[in-house]
Amino acid sequence: MNQFTKIALLLATFLSSQVSAQEKKKPFTISGDMGIWYEGYGLYKAPSPAVPDFYQARRPSNLFRYSFNPTLAVGKWNIPLNFNFSPMQNNFVTVATGGPQSIWQFLTNPVNNFGIRPKIGTTEILLGTQNLQYSDLSTGDLGVFGYGVNLAPGKFRIKLFNGVSQRPVNYLAPTIIPLSDGIIGAYQRNQWMGQLGLEKEGKYFTGFNFVKSKDKRNSVTSAPLSPLDPQENMVVSFLTKVTTDKGWNYHVELGHSFYTRNLNTPLSTTPVEDFKPFIISHTSTNKDNAVMLGIAKKGKDWEAGAKFNYYGAGYYTAGYPFMNNDRMEYLANTRFNAWKKKINVVANIGQRFGNLSRISGPRLTKQIIANVNVFTQFTERFNLNTSFNNFGFNVPGLLGYKSVNNELSVNPSYTWINSKMSHLISGTYTWSKYDETILNVITNNNTETALILYVPTFFNKKISPDFSLMWFRNTAPSINLTLLSATSGMTWKPAPKINLKGQLQYNLSTMAPFTANKNLLATSGFDWHIYKKLIWQFSMTTNLYRYGTELPGSSFTPAYSGSPGYSESTLRTGLQYKF
Amino acid sequence: MKKYHLLLTVVIFLIVQVARAQITLNLALNNRPQPWLSDWVNPVNGQMIISYMQGPAINDPSIKLKTTLLDERGSIIGVSNINSARIYTLRAGVNQFTIADALQLQNLALQGNLQNLLQRTGRLTAGQYQLMVEVMNTRGDVVRAKQTRPFFITSYQLPILMQPASGSSLDAHTSQNIIIFRWTNLIPGTRELPQYRVQVFEILPGQTPMQAFRGNRPLLDESAIKGTTQYIWLPNLPMLDSTANKQFIWTVQTLDAKGLPIPGMDMNIQGRSEPAIFSIVNQMGIIDKKRKNDDSIK
Repeated sequence: MNQFTKIALLLATFLSSQVSAQEKKKPFTISGDMGIWYEGYGLYKAPSPAVPDFYQARRPSNLFRYSFNPTLAVGKWNIPLNFNFSPMQNNFVTVATGGPQSIWQFLTNPVNNFGIRPKIGTTEILLGTQNLQYSDLSTGDLGVFGYGVNLAPGKFRIKLFNGVSQRPVNYLAPTIIPLSDGIIGAYQRNQWMGQLGLEKEGKYFTGFNFVKSKDKRNSVTSAPLSPLDPQENMVVSFLTKVTTDKGWNYHVELGHSFYTRNLNTPLSTTPVEDFKPFIISHTSTNKDNAVMLGIAKKGKDWEAGAKFNYYGAGYYTAGYPFMNNDRMEYLANTRFNAWKKKINVVANIGQRFGNLSRISGPRLTKQIIANVNVFTQFTERFNLNTSFNNFGFNVPGLLGYKSVNNELSVNPSYTWINSKMSHLISGTYTWSKYDETILNVITNNNTETALILYVPTFFNKKISPDFSLMWFRNTAPSINLTLLSATSGMTWKPAPKINLKGQLQYNLSTMAPFTANKNLLATSGFDWHIYKKLIWQFSMTTNLYRYGTELPGSSFTPAYSGSPGYSESTLRTGLQYKF
Repeated sequence: MKKYHLLLTVVIFLIVQVARAQITLNLALNNRPQPWLSDWVNPVNGQMIISYMQGPAINDPSIKLKTTLLDERGSIIGVSNINSARIYTLRAGVNQFTIADALQLQNLALQGNLQNLLQRTGRLTAGQYQLMVEVMNTRGDVVRAKQTRPFFITSYQLPILMQPASGSSLDAHTSQNIIIFRWTNLIPGTRELPQYRVQVFEILPGQTPMQAFRGNRPLLDESAIKGTTQYIWLPNLPMLDSTANKQFIWTVQTLDAKGLPIPGMDMNIQGRSEPAIFSIVNQMGIIDKKRKNDDSIK
């Protein structure tokens, strides 16, 4: 940390001196934006408190976020800043600290960005939070807080970065008095990344990616309990991408990973040999491979491609921590225009095989995905969009599982105009059939949705209304849900710089044989261009919900005499300044 | 007379047993241990107890363990190397060991494909196995105690998110009323039905999808009806509003009967499936463009 701070300060000093030197010679420009964004949320329930609790707050009471994203151009220097942060922590998937964050925890909180990337010529310095995407098999999903450099001398591409992708949080045991769930804790995860390659922009790239991550065991004074064990991971991937003048694209990536699930397990060269000096193997170390292949061709009015992916059951990369492995898939896709470019077709079909290693049972899992979307512009007034989606999942065997979903959607739109106004009417009908087979028992689940939308536009008025009606039905064993909804929205521009908006929605959702739940959603607000570069957005939403007999008041302890319900209010406002 | 004869025989038998078998082995192995063999150090997988009694005969308290893995038919699929096995010196009385000590993963050679699978995944193919442990002398030529225990091993594949598919676009008018989430079943099925929790996160301005997933509080965190693989969400959100967030990332968390996450194949032990992103498309936006076009025509 100290070493990192020193390096960061040195780089910052070097950078500022360069900026000062250039300022005298070259003009200074700034672009980008900055802003502040606030969201307030309130919930009132009746009865309250209720046992059982029938509805929980779905947002924090207050949430502030700040953004500062200018790009400074000083002489030959180009300095983009990416500051997006919140002083509050609402971490859910990653661990919250349970109390105030230390400065280090605040900086490395995954919800925050503090990034600077000054660039001069072919040299780019990376400081703070960076979302670096090297490749699909190495790193790209996570923000990492640290420092690094990108160099591009001639055709050479050299990228180096070191940082923290997971902040340290101490373990805290749960307690009964006072009642506390405790904190599960987390180790600080350090990440080192590198890319070494050759590139000719728009033509080809070929090179190696290296990503290593290691949990720092002494980063916490109270270590998380097993199974949250310290881990280590190393990935080496070889990537080649080629684009030809004739419109062909090729993509090849081969990855090899080492992964130690628990650094507390004994050192051992069995079952996996050391990969010195990067990985010293433990009994919990594994290694595996992944492959990605892709080919595509782009024509004047068409595009077609195919890809193949394989992820071994032991292939892991800290750059994509939620990646699903032990699978193989292929996908073919196309897009083309026809009938004097009045028809546009987008289609893809693919199949995925899982459990290749058989560690989850004796059979492969099979998944089919097929989609086709056809848009036809019959006349200037009339168009039709049709789509069909199919997906199926199958685990053969006596204890097998199977699901098949077919969905068809039709969406015609028609516009007509007279001297005073234009009218647009659009309808959508979607039919979906979802069948599941578990232990040879088939469950049919059918869904229908119909939506009709009408938008009149007055040529000489500043008011723009719209109206829609929606009907939805879902039937399945023990489920018979119907929803009816009516929505009306309106925008009004009383002055050139201000746009007032409002929306009212009422819906009835009925789960047979109960009476309907009633819901009213009202939204109003404005978008105001206070100055040419300053925009103020404001929106207030109220959601009133009253349950039918599906949730009777008598089901609470103590019993409630009326119909249970809740009202929630959300206020959103933001100021954005564009440089 | 016959009774005394019988009693004498039993006493002599016990004396011989005590003199010979001063080491007893008790392999208390969970019949469904954790799938990662390196995790067998955890007490949940059981423990091995070796009792050592100093009898009248001089016996060496030093021992080695020999481990043999057998498949469900009893065929040997892996054996530990006795020469490189660790030498333990037993204390008089009870000596406790972990199941990892009994397995000797760092000293175990599996056959063919299983060794390759162990290298790649740290696990075995799903199925029934037997663990045989022999307590040997330090030369490895005398078996002083032996026990075999069966176990069943399996790993879970977390559900795959099916609908809304990753990268899909949903109509704002429909989705501010209703969004249907569907996913595949947990593989293989469990004795008790798993609990699926659907979690949806808003991607706030300036955030990447994974940043929202890792840093935000979920807008929806609700359980589906137990065992079902569908959740119908009535969002009641003003998706058409200009300040509304138009991108979401969602996942399903799979929990066991105790409410604990079922570990999947990923690096996290959260029971969360690989998340998927969907966007809300405001059809009005398209209409607004048409309006502008119409205006320009006029």
